[in-house]
Amino acid sequence: MHTDKLSFHTENLDGLTVVHIAGELDLEVASQMRSVMEPLMELPDRRLILNLRELKYIDSTGIGILISIVKARHARNAPFGVEDVPPTIQKLFDMTGITPFLDASNA
Amino acid sequence: MKNDANVTLSVPAKAEYVDIVRLTLYGIAARMKFSFEEIEDMKVAVSEACNNAVLHAYDQSEPGHVEVVFTVIGDDALQISVSDSGVSFEQATDRTSSNLHGKSIEEIQSGGLGLYLMQALMDQVEIRSNQGTSVILTKRRMAQETV
Repeated sequence: MHTDKLSFHTENLDGLTVVHIAGELDLEVASQMRSVMEPLMELPDRRLILNLRELKYIDSTGIGILISIVKARHARNAPFGVEDVPPTIQKLFDMTGITPFLDASNA
Repeated sequence: MKNDANVTLSVPAKAEYVDIVRLTLYGIAARMKFSFEEIEDMKVAVSEACNNAVLHAYDQSEPGHVEVVFTVIGDDALQISVSDSGVSFEQATDRTSSNLHGKSIEEIQSGGLGLYLMQALMDQVEIRSNQGTSVILTKRRMAQETV
């Protein structure tokens, strides 16, 4: 089966990369998400923000990817955060305890 | 839906079929008049149970099936059992439940989040193993009856 369940749009601003993620981030598309994010995670001199306004669904696999981005950015002393988080997804972030690691005002 | 009615779905233990389970859950829970938020909670919990079966139940070279049974209990509870018949599951499955609260950035990791979310989002979570593993999730609809 082929689905376009997750799509990305990357915006390169001055010193800042914003990745807009739309759709459903689950086990099926986890490797797609990793391959989009990995090159961006490597750039310590650019701030990195994920805009989640159009994200409809996330599971523990998706949250696991966010954890790996948080760690990779921290190791490079590079800013990272998320913005425009829909309420259903914010609830899962709060429940799992990842929220304090995703503060875009640090990014 | 009638009391104690059930719907059974059997899908290949592959990530791309977890969607189908979520869609079926949505159909059943919406007919039972669960709220949007309750349905979202159940979607995540059931997907986590399916993810476990997809990732841990079977040898990649011989993927099996995941059987999902939705049972309406009384008039306000939905029980969803997610079962596989994988033999190696007992050792492979992630039976730990863990979250990130109070941890440092060095300590956080994704292990245990799936089971933690199931427990946090459902009223009851039971795991049974004999031949394969079953995860049995139950959620009761919050009272919101209008006449």
